[in-house]
Amino acid sequence: MNISVTGPKILFEFTLFGMTVSITETVLSSVIVMLILMVAAVLLGRNLKKRPGGKQVLVEKAVTMLYNLVGETMGQHNLHFAPYIGTLFCASVLGTLISMTGFLRSATADLSTTLAWALVTTGLVWYHSIKNFGFLGWLKGFTEPIAVMTPMNIVSEVAQPIALAFRHFGNVACGGVLTAMIYSGLAAASSLLFGWLPGILGEIPFLQVGIPAVLSLYFDLFSGFIQALVFCMLTMVYVGSVCPPPEEKEAKE
Amino acid sequence: MVILTQAASEGFVDLNVWTAIFTLVNLLLLFFVMKKYLFKPVKKMIDERQQEIDDLYADANQSKTEAAELKSQYETRLAEANEEKEEILRAAHRKAQLREEEILREAQDKAAQTLKRADQQIEMEKKRALNEIKDDVSGMALDIASAVLARDIKGEEHTALIDSFIENLGESHD
Repeated sequence: MNISVTGPKILFEFTLFGMTVSITETVLSSVIVMLILMVAAVLLGRNLKKRPGGKQVLVEKAVTMLYNLVGETMGQHNLHFAPYIGTLFCASVLGTLISMTGFLRSATADLSTTLAWALVTTGLVWYHSIKNFGFLGWLKGFTEPIAVMTPMNIVSEVAQPIALAFRHFGNVACGGVLTAMIYSGLAAASSLLFGWLPGILGEIPFLQVGIPAVLSLYFDLFSGFIQALVFCMLTMVYVGSVCPPPEEKEAKE
Repeated sequence: MVILTQAASEGFVDLNVWTAIFTLVNLLLLFFVMKKYLFKPVKKMIDERQQEIDDLYADANQSKTEAAELKSQYETRLAEANEEKEEILRAAHRKAQLREEEILREAQDKAAQTLKRADQQIEMEKKRALNEIKDDVSGMALDIASAVLARDIKGEEHTALIDSFIENLGESHD
């Protein structure tokens, strides 16, 4: 009984400008997630009516919740970030839950995915920091509150996307690993308990029925939502902190 | 028990730049599509509806204020009209009373006048009748006297005599 803990499988490779480009399961999942969400977005976003019915009520509720969350976390002046946060949340949740199809691997169980997203967050932070406080203002920010803190601030600035990426990746990937371990563990327990049964009956891992489903509720559904929420909340907090309300920004200048 | 394999897969915590780039591109594409086709239209619809509701409420409030204002205006006007009506009625009443008194007075005056005139006429008639009687009586007396005396008395003397007689008679009669 072996459990192989691996990264995503490489589906195929090709050479582009002398570089080997490998298309992995992650890319496949990511593209599928993207296509599903795109189709859903177009379907849900059309035929909107002043007097909504059925699905429009739910869509509006979700969008309102998103805007409220962004408004509360980042301030009313930062509401234009809501579409990105919403996209990130949907991509993250679906990217995690897609493993529940059974044949696709979670896109978020790949450090490359979460790091790419985390770098977008950091990029946004740096861009808006320089835009709002100027290049020198951004550099000066590292020396606050006192100059001695500068190395620490730099480390924390670099650690920020890495921490963000590893948190999401680690949770999802370890959920997958745990699920696999539980499956094999339950198989072993089954064969111990029911191995004496004659013929094929002895080979059926009875314990694998039900128990993993309950655990999957936590590791996939709950963890998937929580990690997506955490990632989005942190993105909002980081970006929001460098996008102060207009009056505060003027006061700072 | 747990084996980290490398065959045909990446390592568990490997970083694949191409995967990262593809993921990034996917995320950006997804962002633009979701923003354009989902978030923007839905948010716009929500905001428009909110605006419409706000407008409706504002309109309703304004209408209510206006209605209250109009109502108080009408009430004031109604009270004024009532007062005016009372005033007019009072004036008409007063006028009617005055007229009534006037008519009564006129009627009384006329009646008094008519009565007076009647009295005068009666007086005159009485006088005339007396004069006529006086003339008749004097003629008759003359005739009787001439018949009695059977002698020719000078007319003028007799006439004067009888007139004085009648005068005395009239005075004693009065």
